[in-house]
Amino acid sequence: MSAGLPSPVSVAPPAGFVPSEIHDPFEAYMGPLFERTEADGSRLFAFIADARHVDETGAVHEGMLMTFADAFLGGAANRAAGGDCVTLSMQASFLTEARAGDVIECRTQIDRVTRAIIFVSGRFSVSGADVATATSLWKVLGAR
Amino acid sequence: MNPSPVDTSGFGAYAGPVLRAESGDAFLFEIEARHLNGAERLHGGMMMALAAIVLGQVAKETARARTPDAEVKPLSLNCDFVSAGKKGDKVEGRADVTRATRTVLFISGELRVGTRILMTATGVYAIKGRDDK
Repeated sequence: MSAGLPSPVSVAPPAGFVPSEIHDPFEAYMGPLFERTEADGSRLFAFIADARHVDETGAVHEGMLMTFADAFLGGAANRAAGGDCVTLSMQASFLTEARAGDVIECRTQIDRVTRAIIFVSGRFSVSGADVATATSLWKVLGAR
Repeated sequence: MNPSPVDTSGFGAYAGPVLRAESGDAFLFEIEARHLNGAERLHGGMMMALAAIVLGQVAKETARARTPDAEVKPLSLNCDFVSAGKKGDKVEGRADVTRATRTVLFISGELRVGTRILMTATGVYAIKGRDDK
């Protein structure tokens, strides 16, 4: 089992979280990313926003939120498909701002699984308040 | 005049650079090793980040053409992944204003390598004047 790719900065995980094993260079570059398995078996994902993630007003950049969404909604799609998926489409709504220092958490939901397409949505929150939502479509590689 | 960087914020500079072409209407981005996924293609997150930077810059310039100190905030971004990019590809981004109201901008754009489309994207942006919350 590979230990995954290292991130350029060292960040202590939020309470109860462990570092995600990252295999995509861009996710490692933006990370580290974290995850935690809840008592009910669901998975919760997180990153801690820092100066690399914010726009010129100090708010977390929407591009970073969509990177986080692609990483974790894609992970959920892969697990649902039992194989690798590629992104077909993603839509995100930005409800309110997150700032550097915030722990941004993500919960994913599988909305539908067909042989070739996986529908996944996600909610992103800081301290329990939603900051963004996303819906996405994934193609199961090799399926038709 | 050489191409100049846009979105030099913490994220824009770290994920980019994204350059503005000399002609002014195209944005330029070259895919480097750090932008890839595990399959050695342009990472979907970086592709959406690039679309966000291109559409966001056009939104900001549109708002500031009317009100010099206006800020724009993204409300929604929709990205369709049409084809893949690889290391060394020179990606060209373009975006246009579909409609501008007093408070909202509708922006539409695309990312291409040569004539091949990588991504089509639409975004909705709120225009914030200096006195708005």
